Amino acid sequence: MFQPLDPLLHSELRLAIMSLLISADEAEFPYIKEQTGATAGNLSVQIDKLTTAGYIEVEKTFKGRRPCTLCRLTPQGRQAFEQYVEALRSYLEVK
Amino acid sequence: MEENKNLTAERSLEIITEQIERSRRNITSNSSCSLICWGTCVFVFALLIAYLWKNHGGPAWNALWGVMWILGYVGEWFISKNKQPVPKNFVSNTIGQVWATFGMFMGVIGFIFGLAGCGLLPVAFTVSGDHFNAHLYVNLTSIISLCFGIASTITGFILKNRIVQVCGFIAGLGGFFVALQYPWSEQLYVMAAVAFIGLIVPGLVIYFQNQK
Repeated sequence: MFQPLDPLLHSELRLAIMSLLISADEAEFPYIKEQTGATAGNLSVQIDKLTTAGYIEVEKTFKGRRPCTLCRLTPQGRQAFEQYVEALRSYLEVK
Repeated sequence: MEENKNLTAERSLEIITEQIERSRRNITSNSSCSLICWGTCVFVFALLIAYLWKNHGGPAWNALWGVMWILGYVGEWFISKNKQPVPKNFVSNTIGQVWATFGMFMGVIGFIFGLAGCGLLPVAFTVSGDHFNAHLYVNLTSIISLCFGIASTITGFILKNRIVQVCGFIAGLGGFFVALQYPWSEQLYVMAAVAFIGLIVPGLVIYFQNQK
């Protein structure tokens, strides 16, 4: 029996953002942009979607005089990611 | 990356693995910069102080270690300011804490030995008993080498890197025993070797192993 895949995470860019954040405490916007190869506009839209769902939290701060956008996973996002991976297992028949 | 409604389970798994692995490599590789920076500082200053101690005065040149601390921190700040910000994770935080603890302990020990150098504290002890009479002295390089080795070996265990573990082991125990043979300025050559084996080599190994 296949488990349902979270539609919010079942997108290349959003999944890449979540995977990146799961292995780091927090990451700056330019770093996520560079690692995913996404455009700034597209990345902003996807981050907004994940923020609205409560999967990640965004902190706008300053680094010296430059504005800095920090993204980090929320406990809810971590749980959703774990459930997504668990669901993937059922598709791949990995024990 | 584009929005893809027909994402397969295999492709999803590939994205997750790729991103986690890439992130891990970036973070680990970034940790190596501090090891190389501080290792180079210790290596250069050890040789410089050894030369000055031998040819232009005496152990008073050890005060230059204080300059090394300042230069090391300025150098690290400059490097972190000019490079692309890399996030931190549990591994990089733990490595940072291990070396910060090492630095803190060495700073305090160095300060205490500085006081000893000014004649304010003893660094040699005479132990007398019924059956033996021994004159003991504290060898700072031996202590530092041992601590270097411990910190380096722990770093190797955190990174699960056998080369770093072995380098730490050799630098720590090798430096400890070899430095005991040289109570005077020659022990600074041992310190330079310990910095090279215990900091620079592990730093370079971590850096190159995690390059794309």
